[in-house]
Amino acid sequence: MNAVDAKSITQRFGKITAVDDVSFTVSEGELFGFIGPDGAGKTTLFRIAATLIIPTGGRMTLFGLNVVSDFRELRNHIGYMPGRFSLYTDLTVEENLQFYATIFGTTIKENYHLIEPVYKQIEPFRKRRAGHLSGGMKQKLALSCALIHKPRILILDEPTTGVDAVSRTEFWEMLEGLKREGITIIVSTPYMDEALRCDRIALMQQGRLMGIDTPAAIRSSYGKKIYAVSHRDRYRLLLALRAMTDVDSPEPFGEAVHINIREGATVDDVKKSLERAGLEGAEVTEITPGIEDVFLELMKKGS
Amino acid sequence: MKKLLFLLRKEFRQIRRNRFMIRAIIAVPILQMLIFVPAITFEIKRIDLAVIDNDRSQASRELVSKLTGSSFFVVTATPATVTEAESMLLSGDADIALVIPPDFSRGLAGVTTPRLQVLADAVNASTAQLSWSYITSVIRDFNREVIISTGMIPANMAAIRTGSLPGISVSPRYWYNPKLNYKYYMLPGMLVILITVIGLMMIGFNLVREKESGTIEQINVTPIMKWQLIVSRIILFFIIGLFDLALGLGIGWLAFNIPFEGSLLLFFACAAIFLVAVLGLALFFSTMASTQQQFLFIAFFFVMVFILMSGIFTPTESMPLWAQQFNLVNPVAYLMRINRMVMLKGSGFSEIMRDMAMLTILALSYLSLAIRAYRKRA
Repeated sequence: MNAVDAKSITQRFGKITAVDDVSFTVSEGELFGFIGPDGAGKTTLFRIAATLIIPTGGRMTLFGLNVVSDFRELRNHIGYMPGRFSLYTDLTVEENLQFYATIFGTTIKENYHLIEPVYKQIEPFRKRRAGHLSGGMKQKLALSCALIHKPRILILDEPTTGVDAVSRTEFWEMLEGLKREGITIIVSTPYMDEALRCDRIALMQQGRLMGIDTPAAIRSSYGKKIYAVSHRDRYRLLLALRAMTDVDSPEPFGEAVHINIREGATVDDVKKSLERAGLEGAEVTEITPGIEDVFLELMKKGS
Repeated sequence: MKKLLFLLRKEFRQIRRNRFMIRAIIAVPILQMLIFVPAITFEIKRIDLAVIDNDRSQASRELVSKLTGSSFFVVTATPATVTEAESMLLSGDADIALVIPPDFSRGLAGVTTPRLQVLADAVNASTAQLSWSYITSVIRDFNREVIISTGMIPANMAAIRTGSLPGISVSPRYWYNPKLNYKYYMLPGMLVILITVIGLMMIGFNLVREKESGTIEQINVTPIMKWQLIVSRIILFFIIGLFDLALGLGIGWLAFNIPFEGSLLLFFACAAIFLVAVLGLALFFSTMASTQQQFLFIAFFFVMVFILMSGIFTPTESMPLWAQQFNLVNPVAYLMRINRMVMLKGSGFSEIMRDMAMLTILALSYLSLAIRAYRKRA
C-alpha cells in the first residue's frame, strides 16, 4: 500500500487553478520532496493532503484512507507543519507540546523517544514562550508538536524557509532520522540543495507536476552539456552572453553563469567571442547539471 | 469531554498571559460603573438664568431671590435689554431669561395686570421643558404668597396660616425609586451594557485571533472537532461575563448603595441566557471577519444599534413602531427591562417570564444561526 496515492487532483479558487490534474504516489517510509517557485501550488496540494481543504476534482488517499471522507480517522495519523509558524506564541514551549499531546490523547512521556532528537535541543528553553524563540527553535518546536502523536506521515510545508543555514542542515538530519523510524515524509522546499536529500522529488510549476524522479535521475535527464562561465565583471559577462548567437539560455547562478552552447559551436568559439567583447580571462568549464538547471529547462519548455 | 477540559485549560492560560485582557476584564466594569452611572443623568442641577429687571422694586428682588433660593437657578447676568438677553441665550451664557416688566410691583398691588416673560434656550427640548416647569412652579408659589399677603382671601381661613390655598391637593408617591435617584435607573442598564461589550467584543477577538495568527491551521489537523473549539470559547467568556457582572454589581452596591429588591439567582439566570445570545451573535460576526479590525467594525456597529435602541436612555414604548419591532430581536432591550424590574421593583419569575422566554428563544436562534454560518465557512 502506498503512503500517498493522488489521482488527478485539481483545485480551483474561482478562476484560478492552483493545482491542475496532479497525480503521484509516495511509498511508505519515503522522503518525498516538492520543489517549485512561489505560487506553484505546493501549499494547496499539502493542505489537501492534510485534510484542510476539499479538492475540486480528483482523489487522494493516505494509507488507503480518503482525505475527504475519512478525514477524521486520518487526522490521527498526520503530522502537519504549515509554512507559517502556527503554534501559540503566548504559551511556553512545554505548554504547546503538552497541549498537542493531550488533544491527541497521548502524553509527552509516551512518545518522548520519537521527539527526543528534536526536542532535547529546545528543552533548556521549555519555560520560554514560543513567541520568544528564534526561527530555528520555533521550527524545532513545530516539528516536535507535529510528531508528538506518533504520526505515520509528516507533511511539512517549506519547513526551512527563513531559517539559518546551520539549523537547516540540522533539520534535514533530523528528517533523515525520522525516516529511519519508518515515518513517511512529504516536504516542500524552495532550496535546491535540500531537494538532493530526498528519495524522490517532484518538480512543480503553475499547478502542474513537470516530473517526478530521484535527484540523480533528474540531473541525468538533462540531455545537453552545460558550462559554467565566470568573470569578475558578472554583469557585463551576462549581457555579453545574452547577446551571443552561439550561446543558449544563459542563467546566472551565484558566482557563475550557466550556459548551453548551440550545435556547431565550441567552447573556444565562446571564449573568443568573450575576448572580443573585452572580457579577457573568462573561464568556461563543463559541469554536471544540477537540479536547478533541469528545473529551469523544464520551466522554459512548459511556458 | 476530556478534550474540552484541555482546551479550556489552554484558553485560561492564554487569558492569564494576556495582560491587556486581564486589565480589560478588571478595569472595564470599574470604569464603566464609576464613570457612566453618575455622569449620565437627565436631572438638571443648574440653570443659568439671566434676569432683566425693569421694575427694580422690592417685589421683583423678592421674586429673583426666591428663584435663586431653589438651588437650580443661578443668576449669571442681569442684562439691561431683551436684545442683550437674546444674545446671551445665543452664546450659551444663559439657559433661560426672565423679563420683569416695569409695572410688576404696581400690578401686584392690583393696579395693572403684570406679565412676566420667560425666554428659554430649547435646543434640548427636554431641558427647556424642565427649566420651564421649575421656573413656573417658583413663580406660582410667589404668586400665591402675594395673594395671601394682600388679603384677597379672608384672613380667618385656616389655610392662610398654613400657607396654602384651598383646592385639590395632589401628593405624589414615587414607587420603586422614592427619591427619584437617577443612578438607580442608570445602573441596571449600565450592567447590561457592560456584559454586552465584554461578551460580544472579547469572544470575537479571541475567535478571530486564532484565524488571524494561523494557529487554527494546526488545530484543524488534530482530532479536535470544531464544536469543541467553539464550546470551549463560549464557556470561557460565559464565565468572564458573569464574573464582570458580579464585579459591576458589587461596585454599584459599594459606591452607590444601589438597592437590590429581587432575587440574585433570577438576575444571574437572565444574564446567563443573555450571554448565550450575545456570544452566539459574536460567533456569527466572527464568521464574517478574517481580521480583528473587521470584526471590531461589524461588532461595534451592532453593539451601538442594540444599545441605543434598548431603552437605556429613552423609553422603548415611545419609539416608533418599527423600532419597537426591531427590539423584538434586540437581546439588550430584554435584559434592560428585566434588570430594572428585578433590581428596582423586585419582580419575580412570573413578572419577567415573557421577557425571559423571548430572550431564550433569541439566544437559541442566534446560536444556531452562528453554528450554521460557521459550518458553511469551514
